[in-house]
Amino acid sequence: MRPALVVGGGPAGLSAAHALAAMGRHVALVEKADTLGGAPILTGYAKLVPSGEWAKDAIGGMVRRVEGNPLIDIHRGTVVKSFSGEPGAFRARLSSGPELEVGAALLCTGFTHFDSVNKPEWGFGTYPDVVTTAQVEQMISSGRGVRCPSDGRAPDRVAILLCVGSRDRQIGREWCSKICCTVSANIAMEIREQLPGCNVYIYYMDIRTFGLYEDTYYWESQEKHKVKYIKARIAEVTSDGKRLIVKGEDTLVKRPITIPFDMVVHAIGMDPNVDNMTLSAVFDIKLEKHGHIAKASSYTSMCGTSRPGVFVAGAATGPETIDDSIAQGQAAAMAALAQLHGSVREAAE
Amino acid sequence: MPIHEKSLIRPENLAIHEDLTIEGVDVSGHWSTFIKSRAVTDYNEAMEQEIAALPGGEYIHRCWQCGSCTNSCTVNAVNPDFNPRYWIYLIRLGMEEELLRDKDIVWQCVSCNKCTYACPRDVNPEGVMKATAHWLELKGHTDQKPSMAFDEIFSAQVFATGKIEEGRIIRQFFARTGQSLFQDWLLALARGLAKRLPVGLLARLGFAALFRPRTSGWGRAQAAMAEYLGEQQAARRSALGIEEGAKR
Repeated sequence: MRPALVVGGGPAGLSAAHALAAMGRHVALVEKADTLGGAPILTGYAKLVPSGEWAKDAIGGMVRRVEGNPLIDIHRGTVVKSFSGEPGAFRARLSSGPELEVGAALLCTGFTHFDSVNKPEWGFGTYPDVVTTAQVEQMISSGRGVRCPSDGRAPDRVAILLCVGSRDRQIGREWCSKICCTVSANIAMEIREQLPGCNVYIYYMDIRTFGLYEDTYYWESQEKHKVKYIKARIAEVTSDGKRLIVKGEDTLVKRPITIPFDMVVHAIGMDPNVDNMTLSAVFDIKLEKHGHIAKASSYTSMCGTSRPGVFVAGAATGPETIDDSIAQGQAAAMAALAQLHGSVREAAE
Repeated sequence: MPIHEKSLIRPENLAIHEDLTIEGVDVSGHWSTFIKSRAVTDYNEAMEQEIAALPGGEYIHRCWQCGSCTNSCTVNAVNPDFNPRYWIYLIRLGMEEELLRDKDIVWQCVSCNKCTYACPRDVNPEGVMKATAHWLELKGHTDQKPSMAFDEIFSAQVFATGKIEEGRIIRQFFARTGQSLFQDWLLALARGLAKRLPVGLLARLGFAALFRPRTSGWGRAQAAMAEYLGEQQAARRSALGIEEGAKR
């Protein structure tokens, strides 16, 4: 029986590979980075939502489980160069040389963090103390703590700007990145715990801490940690030479604001993976209008793409949480197994 | 209004030179009009903590500005400027100058508690209104209301003796609020008493007025109350940064 090809070693890919191997299937896991773990590990996330576990422990455990599995062949620092054939009998040539015969392919290729330099009015790349949520995650996970990059001081006042690279037609990002509100509330609570004298303000258009994150993140951050939420879309971030100046309109008092801050954090969104055009060409699959991998019918072909035998899971299809990416990885494994068994049955008949 | 921002211009923010000539051009009057910036330039983070330190204000930080309090408000239905949701926002961000514009209506809260039952986050807006009115008074932004003077005279006498003597309360209240003791209703009351001459009652009134008796064993209760009140008042003074001995 031919192995399954899993592309991408993040939460969805690790989950899919493990699920397939648990069912006795051989798996070829191809990861373009030199390390498994995907965004949580490569970016260096701190404590995950909603478990509160450190990313290196939680996702690290998934990596070890896959690395220790004899049924899973791991190809690090490798991409798929070409892909052809029919469901049950695909051929995939890897950048490292070998050509694999595989029965199905699972694209767990994830996303790319929005690059804040594409919103220059908010100061990223101009002022060192304007950082992204990814950078704050790194400050926390590295143990160095939240500090202003310009001079290493602990900030007295931090602004978190939501929807940076999301819900913005001006830069062609018309989607909600789904996780940034909750992540920002999580980071705000972490800052308030580490630096009790530091006030944290979150500037929002809407708060979308969906489902059970409502009280455990949004309410908790307000009620226990006294994080302040202000309904304002910031116009620009400048500096008076000493501190950052956040300008905008406070919509609830109908007045302009120019407030000094020590640090401004961009809650960056999830872009389609920068490699999606290449993936689309190599695997001959369609992308949906935003540039994510297009799903087949959600109702009748779980985790399918526009090409039979090629499945997709996780943030490759659009902004997704880690938990749901893991669940989708297992669902894609299930769908791929059904297809692999179907091919075997057809061959026998 | 074609330009809605015009409605946001406040008269005190208009700067007009009545008599101004620039390079030989007379720009007196509205030709030289400037509008001062309405921009909020900083947050006062102490303000929320001060209100939160007063009874009723404890949960103000929970507010997420849904407006349930204002929607359900009895007073707001009569006076649209009475807006608890808005004041809570101003307090949370420390926009003191903005709050002070409404200092003379905050106290109009009738404590119907409709907001208390409407609030999805248990902010207790009615308590916040009380705390805010109290804060305005403690900070000297509003004058003491006559009812507050009455409360103080009344409670001072209870603390001192464990009981009240109405005649003295009335005398002190009128004196403190600068009112004449010769009120029509009081004169009518005195005349009625003189006509019927209830000897026993007048004797008891006279005794109470002259000897100011205390409830027996009052000393211990008084000491306990004084200690408790002292702690409460000291806590409030320190939360608001008010000097010892200043107005309560």
